[in-house]
Amino acid sequence: MSATLTPQAGRVTRGTTATTPVESRWERLAPYGYVAPFYLLFAVFGLFPLLFTFVVALYDWNPIGERTFVGLDNFVRLGEDPRFWNALRNTFSIWVLSTVPQLVIALVLAQVLNKARLRFANFWRMSMLVPYITSVAATTIVFAQLFDRDYGLLNFFVGLLGFEHIDFKNTVLGSHVLIAVMVTWRWFGYTTLLYLASLQAVPRDLYEAANVDGAGEVQQFLHITLPSLRPVIVFTVITSTIGGLQIFTEPLLLQPTSGTTCGAERQCQTLSLFQFEQGFGVFNFGYGSAIGVALFAIIVVVALVNYLLSSRVGRRA
Amino acid sequence: MAQLVDAPDAAAPEGGRGGRRPQRLDRVPRSRQVGRVRWYTYAVLALAVLACLFPLYWMFVVASAGTEAAAEMPPRVVPGGRLLVVTQLVFDTIPFLRSLVNSLVVAGLIAVGQAFLCSLAGFAFAKLSFKGRDPLFLLLVLTMTVPASLSVIPQYMIIAQLGWVDTLQALVVPGLVSAFGIFWMRQHISATIDDQLLQAARVDGCGSWQIFTRIAFPIVRPAAFVLGLLGFVNAWNDFLWPFIVLKSPEVYTAQIAIKALQSNLTVDLGLAMAGSFLVTIPLLVLFVFFGRQMVSGIMDGAFKG
Amino acid sequence: MVPHTQPWRPSRRQLLRTALVGATGLGAAGATSACAPQAPTGPRDFTFWSFTGIGQKADVERFTSENPGVTIKLTEVGSSQETAQALTTAIAGGRVPDLALVQAADLPKFALSPDNFVDYRTLGGDDVGAPYLDWVIAQATTRQGQVIGIPTDVGGLAVAYRKDLFAAAGLPTDRDEVSALWPDWPGFIETGRRYVEATGNPFVDNAATSVFYQALGQVSEQFYDADGGYAYTNPQVRQAFDWSLDALAAGISARVDSFGSAWNAGIGRGAFAVTCSPSWMLGTIKSQAPDLEGQWDLATIPNGIGNWGGSYLAIPAAAERKEAAWEYVRSVQSPASQLRHFVDAGSLPTTPENYSAPELVGSTDPYFSDAPTGAIFTKAVLDITPFPVGRYTAEIGTELQNAIKAVELSAADPAQAWARGVRNVEVVVGDL
Repeated sequence: MSATLTPQAGRVTRGTTATTPVESRWERLAPYGYVAPFYLLFAVFGLFPLLFTFVVALYDWNPIGERTFVGLDNFVRLGEDPRFWNALRNTFSIWVLSTVPQLVIALVLAQVLNKARLRFANFWRMSMLVPYITSVAATTIVFAQLFDRDYGLLNFFVGLLGFEHIDFKNTVLGSHVLIAVMVTWRWFGYTTLLYLASLQAVPRDLYEAANVDGAGEVQQFLHITLPSLRPVIVFTVITSTIGGLQIFTEPLLLQPTSGTTCGAERQCQTLSLFQFEQGFGVFNFGYGSAIGVALFAIIVVVALVNYLLSSRVGRRA
Repeated sequence: MAQLVDAPDAAAPEGGRGGRRPQRLDRVPRSRQVGRVRWYTYAVLALAVLACLFPLYWMFVVASAGTEAAAEMPPRVVPGGRLLVVTQLVFDTIPFLRSLVNSLVVAGLIAVGQAFLCSLAGFAFAKLSFKGRDPLFLLLVLTMTVPASLSVIPQYMIIAQLGWVDTLQALVVPGLVSAFGIFWMRQHISATIDDQLLQAARVDGCGSWQIFTRIAFPIVRPAAFVLGLLGFVNAWNDFLWPFIVLKSPEVYTAQIAIKALQSNLTVDLGLAMAGSFLVTIPLLVLFVFFGRQMVSGIMDGAFKG
Repeated sequence: MVPHTQPWRPSRRQLLRTALVGATGLGAAGATSACAPQAPTGPRDFTFWSFTGIGQKADVERFTSENPGVTIKLTEVGSSQETAQALTTAIAGGRVPDLALVQAADLPKFALSPDNFVDYRTLGGDDVGAPYLDWVIAQATTRQGQVIGIPTDVGGLAVAYRKDLFAAAGLPTDRDEVSALWPDWPGFIETGRRYVEATGNPFVDNAATSVFYQALGQVSEQFYDADGGYAYTNPQVRQAFDWSLDALAAGISARVDSFGSAWNAGIGRGAFAVTCSPSWMLGTIKSQAPDLEGQWDLATIPNGIGNWGGSYLAIPAAAERKEAAWEYVRSVQSPASQLRHFVDAGSLPTTPENYSAPELVGSTDPYFSDAPTGAIFTKAVLDITPFPVGRYTAEIGTELQNAIKAVELSAADPAQAWARGVRNVEVVVGDL
């Protein structure tokens, strides 16, 4: 079963440890000891909290006050809560706005970086990883300033061109674009490297043959690059979905005067931030956990879609 | 040091990856090479690099020009000479040095923990046979798809039960080992370590612990080092979890410290920008030394089509 | 144990050695527990959490200089809301400061679970609240009579205005004449209209805070009625809301959110000519625009009275140094000390016996053109009719204010603003 999980397993004979005739008890138990730290920590800080989320969600639970069992009330309320649907919409919108440009930019850059005679290849690659090592907190503070309505650099140029300053932070679309720009900035280089690695596994003969046949750069991109990258594209879409569901720091720091709502109209409050607001802003642990359960349900849906997509990709390959 | 820098290349599996590295490409006759490099190629790349580096430059400009620069119109584009003054102000406003040290301790321990524990578990999954190995590994892979942040509330409750609220071990202990790291090291160990070598060691009477510490770990140490680096970067930049469990400035990590700078009533953006810049410097320094390893590490761990 | 030198370039051997130490987990705990907040060591030492912008440092410094040997670990970070949240997290997590500053709006939530705090009556006797303004101490008193907070200051209201900008607009600059321009909010808005006509520049920083929130502090009934029921749609609240919409319609707002970076920058840059300022905000104005000393002045708030905020000192029940914290509270919040704090730092005392003291009545602030700050701010709080508050007072205020901000900052339809605000309040307080 695990063979399907190990892309590189092919050439290596796996798990053929020589077992001496009389193996000590210690030797038989040792492997469990080696993997135990992960499962131990996961049980305490991963699995148990995950399961317990479902329990807490059934309570009206104030961490410094009372807790009362309320059954499914929190979920009923969640379904009727416009703030929840708003956060869901924002999360989805920011995810689309950040994923699509990021993948397109990364595809183009990977194609460019894959050119054999490119000079300073290492410099280009390393530069593109700089945003990745910059923290989200620092990124947000800088971009919020660059896109500021009154004193931002971008709006200075907008003003020079004779247009009215754009208020990114206080409009729905503007704040989503601004957060998406930050997410894209941070991840496009990383994604480019993943695509580049995948591209390098494509035999160069293919491109050379295409060259000989007179296929242009665009045609090569469409007929060789894209199809060979399909699995890694699916992979990055999945990871960006999981990442997109967790967007928290950008909307929190974008509007420091709005506390945890990311603006007066909650225009950029994501699900993760809404959960934080309910859990650690107004300290309604039960309701916050119900939002966590909703997040889990979304993940399950994403996983199912992922499964369907990748099995289709697998069949086609 | 030089050896360490070059190590990932030396240890990387060679099979099926011919022609990956630029220096090797030079050996291919130029006339036959794929991808003519035109001027616009460099224009595209230069634009991308500019986009990557400008925000950091801007951070530096505002940080060095002082608080007023953040609200100058037309905006300032050249650095000023007040970096030390503003830095001093940051350090006066919050215990910033303390938070940098905290971040260093947390990220350092996590880096080391991940490098070692993930290698060890990856080794067990790759090279040892034990009952339940495959289901355990499947479970591990599944855990990667569930983001930890959805259950932060019970996580906080556990930390509270342990009495770890407002302590750094609340950050360190859960981060010491990761599913991603184990998965990654397992791939590496499967691909780089020959079974015959381990078998020979067995015959010589080595137990699995000796095999790991004396043979396997030294071989994969470069990969473990890159894993540790990535763990360091992630831990250094982590925000949500530290923001939940850390409440006193003495335990703030650097990221939480700049959040505090940003939300203080009487200070403004210039200070927050300076804080952001100071928080980024250590990673930039790290990146100058080990950026190449990180790039190749990310590319090695990539999903290969 | 861990290489702390930068850059982080461990040798191979170091890497392995630290790996082994770190991997034990014990090593990790050992290394990091040293970084946990250190409990003060002397018997009179204690820890104290405050938010920023309120100048607790001055009190702490004076207390420690008068009480040599006492160490107070003061933490001054973030906004009042964040401090309240941190305090809640700390109480739930079992690791609390010995003393915390809580803003008035955050207090009702803590009053719901009074067991989390020391009842000051157990430390200072049943009349511990006697020296303080009735309506102020009432907010920190539970239905069962427990006193969980000692008030440090109240936020009497005034209007801070730029004399130079007023002069340029052809408006009077003398504070009595300026006060006479706006006996009420329509007068304030009309003055703004004149200013905008004359200069083309915005008049007031914003409507959401400088009009709505101030007018909200002048009502006799706010979001709760005397029986604890909701009253947030009452005519006084609605009137405050409509005045702020009028201000927006008149185009007098600079549309900058209070306390944001553009607001901070705007204070020094003439982005607006007036901001409505409670007494505790004066320090912020000064620190943002030190060069403008003598250009700012203070006039009375439209309608003459009002309070915004004010804070309380609370001792968590789980605190280790309750006695030490109490000793500090008793000393620093005595009427005499509050008077001194007013003279030094400008926050308004909560002890009415000071309100006739010559130091207070006669006090002036050179930064604000020698305005008689004491007289102006005390006048604003003396005749306040207290209104009942409840668990969601802060949230209801935020939601209604957000409905105005939506119009002000995000171009929402003003005709829908009230209905939207009320609906959002219903969602927040709904079926909790």
